Amino acid sequence: MKFKDKHRFVRSNMKKNRTRVWMTILASTIGCAFLIMLASIGFAIHKTAVDDVMSFRMVNEIQVQKESGMMTENDVKKLEQIEGVKAVTRKKYTPANQLSIGEYNTFANVISAHMPSEEKAGFELDKGRMPKNKNEIVVGYHFAEELRKDQPENALEGLSEEEAQKRMKELSYKGNLLNETLKYHLKTDNPEIKIEGPVQTVDVKIVGIGKKPTRDWAHDNSVFITEDLYNEVISILGKQDPKIASADELKNYGDVKAFTASADDVKEVTDRIEKLDYMTYSIIKELKQMNVYFTLFKAGLIFIGAIAVLIASIGIFNTMTMAVTERSQDIGIMKAIGATPKTVKRIFLLESAYIGLWGVGLGTLLAYITSYGVNFALPIIIEQFVNETPPEGFMLSYIPWSLTAIAVTICMGVTLLSGWRPAAKATTVDVLKALRRDV
Amino acid sequence: MISVSNLSYAFKIGKKGKENIVPVLHDVNLQVAEGEIVAVVGRSGSGKSTLLNLISGFIQPEVGNITINRTNLSKFSESKWAEFRLNHLGFIFQSFQLIPSMSAFENVELPLVLKGVSVPERKVRTEEMLKRVGLESFKNHYPGELSGGQQQRVSIARALILNPPLILADEPTGSLDSENEKQLLSFIKELNEKYGITFLMITHDHEVASIAHRKVEIIDGYLREGRMLHEVQR
Ligand SMILES: Nc1ncnc2c1ncn2[C@@H]1O[C@H](COP(=O)(O)OP(=O)(O)O)[C@@H](O)[C@H]1O
Ligand SMILES: [Mg+2]
Repeated sequence: MKFKDKHRFVRSNMKKNRTRVWMTILASTIGCAFLIMLASIGFAIHKTAVDDVMSFRMVNEIQVQKESGMMTENDVKKLEQIEGVKAVTRKKYTPANQLSIGEYNTFANVISAHMPSEEKAGFELDKGRMPKNKNEIVVGYHFAEELRKDQPENALEGLSEEEAQKRMKELSYKGNLLNETLKYHLKTDNPEIKIEGPVQTVDVKIVGIGKKPTRDWAHDNSVFITEDLYNEVISILGKQDPKIASADELKNYGDVKAFTASADDVKEVTDRIEKLDYMTYSIIKELKQMNVYFTLFKAGLIFIGAIAVLIASIGIFNTMTMAVTERSQDIGIMKAIGATPKTVKRIFLLESAYIGLWGVGLGTLLAYITSYGVNFALPIIIEQFVNETPPEGFMLSYIPWSLTAIAVTICMGVTLLSGWRPAAKATTVDVLKALRRDV
Repeated sequence: MISVSNLSYAFKIGKKGKENIVPVLHDVNLQVAEGEIVAVVGRSGSGKSTLLNLISGFIQPEVGNITINRTNLSKFSESKWAEFRLNHLGFIFQSFQLIPSMSAFENVELPLVLKGVSVPERKVRTEEMLKRVGLESFKNHYPGELSGGQQQRVSIARALILNPPLILADEPTGSLDSENEKQLLSFIKELNEKYGITFLMITHDHEVASIAHRKVEIIDGYLREGRMLHEVQR
């Protein structure tokens, strides 16, 4: 018997008892939708947590440290030799932090960086380009906000917090900073050192502005200078403060990161770096631990959801058992004419598979609609009743493809399992009993 | 065509362990030649249907051999039997055994469907067969909407659709009036003469037995070869 004929046969059989079949499909639909919805909460929490971690760092980033002491030029060279390492960025803290333009002033976090490596590692800019020449700099996204007009020290006294914030905003630099030239004040940040006379400055040009941090609350007012400028600055500062001239931590790197071409390479490259006795930290490592916990959590939810599917499958079992009983005479006639037990079994398995497929299809659709609805409506409800805005990108339910695939597999598996016994029973219908029935 | 040798059969009744054994057939030997019409006669309960059910593979013998078309069927599995029935045997039952939810066309088409014949070929062959039994205008009727004689013709059409060399019939005229009975008998005769189809028919009706070439009688499970019918008639 051809599949097409089985299909037609099964369809006409299903039509004979529409209500019963649809009720069974409804039960599987609800079971399947429940499974997906329940698990989707776990998937949403997992995704939120992962996104949270990922928003701090890039996935292909490996932070490298030594067991003791700081990373040296030599260490950086070694890292750059390692297979799979695309770039090694290295940063140094710069102990002079005042910059100004006209009457605007700021104390920023000044960092020296190896610009070609930063560029290769994928330093993200909002505007402009990476520095090419010694006196070019890149500033953080919020640098302009922190660049303020001077004001008397007690200017904010007696103001409420809101008013103070408003006042501070008014004092911020308003124009476009790109391609502006600032004065970098070469005075050590060590408050014990006093300098007589005017402070020496060096002109620096802003050629790039960093990308806005993904976190709303993150505030980036750092300044990245070239290594050449850094060396010049240190030699000048060394004259002010003898400690600077001899400080080891100013020659070595405080922050070294290796970047791979893709996230998939991180594990391999990490192993290679650790073989050279460095300590590493990467998002992949952290995610791995997190994933174990969340996978267990999701598996638990899927297990509970699967119970609903199991209950629905009892309905399929009943429906199919009734179908077999009702049609035992037809089965007997077909067997008498020459239908093999295999054919009979396939016909009934196909029928339960169709019920399952409808249930799974409608259930998945229902789950997607519910998920969308919940994610859309819940923030509104929270805003209305709790008077708080949920965080950006908030999700209560997330249905990735993998969840759909898992749910479809479970539902179809359980369906076929519950249809198995009735189908097997159909093959054992006794031809003689069936033929004798209406005599 | 058919060779039955040393066939015995007993029904087991009751629960396992303390079942009653009811012997029905004893050491039956029967040969049916190709192109023969053989009538099996005997009193009700003598074991005629049981013999036919064994030859049909609906029940399996414990003692004895059944060979059809030189195929030894004694050790056949259920699915092998099913295939054999589909390809070599046609059935006519006293109570027609049509599937009530299928139209006349679909009932006749069923063996072709089971065999996996393509849709266009199925349509042609089924319509041709319905025409042959004079039911072309009833093809969309359901068994419940047909008279007994028409239903039996549908069932004959179904039995013939795959051109089996052998047709087994258990009291084929049992549910028919005399008019339909006559028609059926002449049709069987025609099929036998024109196409050489072999018939093994159970009947207790001498009128029916009149078209048979040979008559065998079962008495309390023992088979006796009867005389040739023309001898009886004389
Ligand atoms: N399924 C069965 N279980 C037990 N005994 C049966 C069964 N079928 C038939 N018999 C018995 O076998 C004997 C022969 O029956 P059957 O072959 O139907 O006779 P016939 O067709 O000649 O009237 C009868 O005595 C009947 O009671
Ligand atoms: Mg009988």
